[in-house]
Amino acid sequence: MPQLEQVEFFISQLFWLGVFFVILFTVLTYITLPKIRAFLNQRDDFVKSHISKQDELIKKAESIVENYEAKLTEAKNQASQIINDAKDKALKESEDLIKATEEKIQHEIKQTEERVAKEKDTAISELNDQLKDSATNFLSKVTNIEKGNINL
Amino acid sequence: MAKGESPLKQFEIQPIVDINFLGFDISFTNSALWMTITTAFILIFFTVPFLKAKKTNSVSDLYPTRMQVAAELGFNFINSLLADTVGKEGKKYFPLVFTLFMFILFGNLFGMIPYSFTFTSHIIVTLALAMGVFIFVTVLGFVKHGVKFFSFFVIPGLPVYMLPLLIPIEIISYLSRPISLSVRLFANMLAGHTLLKVFAGFVSALGFFGILPLVFIIALTGLEILIAFLQAYVFAILTCLYINDALHLH
Repeated sequence: MPQLEQVEFFISQLFWLGVFFVILFTVLTYITLPKIRAFLNQRDDFVKSHISKQDELIKKAESIVENYEAKLTEAKNQASQIINDAKDKALKESEDLIKATEEKIQHEIKQTEERVAKEKDTAISELNDQLKDSATNFLSKVTNIEKGNINL
Repeated sequence: MAKGESPLKQFEIQPIVDINFLGFDISFTNSALWMTITTAFILIFFTVPFLKAKKTNSVSDLYPTRMQVAAELGFNFINSLLADTVGKEGKKYFPLVFTLFMFILFGNLFGMIPYSFTFTSHIIVTLALAMGVFIFVTVLGFVKHGVKFFSFFVIPGLPVYMLPLLIPIEIISYLSRPISLSVRLFANMLAGHTLLKVFAGFVSALGFFGILPLVFIIALTGLEILIAFLQAYVFAILTCLYINDALHLH
């Protein structure tokens, strides 16, 4: 077996193993591995920073939504307030109008009644005068007394 | 494979450039060549995709390219492996586990290329890696806990009269860690590659019926690629567990 027979090459193998292992170890330790680690860390940092940025943006968006909702409820409240006010006002106005109209109608009824009564009186008194005239005429004709002398 | 060639010939070390340093033979061999290729490949594979990475915050620059995704996959794999076994304190040992895993993984995988050489199939290499881990973990335990580290060999909640029996067993099991760690990797690589070569020999020997071992080799190659990954994973996860033991004792 050459592994155990070629004893003369043991030192050579050990020497070159040592040389290459040390070269490999040194270069990997001081150049290659730090480079790879830096690259991986850079990427991790990038991802992490983006995740934190994303969290910030989500918080911001949430606050915007909250703000929006608060404003929306406020506007809704205001709107219903306005509607209620308008309803009340309209109701009052219509009631006032009805009341005023009723008063006006009452007033007119009263006036009309007064006028009717007055006309009735004048008609009656006219009738009385006419009756008096005709009665006077009749009497003067019957009695031959001057009209002016008859006093009923 | 030429006739009469041993299936173990693939493990032979062939010097490419003879180097002698202070009387030591440190020739650049085929093993060293594949270590070079593995090291270069890992460094290119994991470094180049991130060279152009700019410091910007626009989304399009943060989309990983295909190569970056592939490199990240390996990075995150070892990261989660350490986090699952050791926890938060394991981050310090990430480069060590990462280097071990990638070095063994690509050493194993490049060994699957025909005519290449698998340096992890040599016991001296795997033993060196395992001893390195063992020494590192032991020193780490002493640094973290001082003399209290020896309490690691005393299983809590055990009757006192059992201790003389169990403490030696614990010590032996601790000392055999580097051996089991190295032999596991070495033997898996050795067995897999030898088996492939033995069946490859049958292909030419059986003539027309050589198609049967050929089909078997194709399936076995898939299994060997799985084992290449699995053994690197086992080596890495055991290293993590040993680090965890050294940090937390029991």
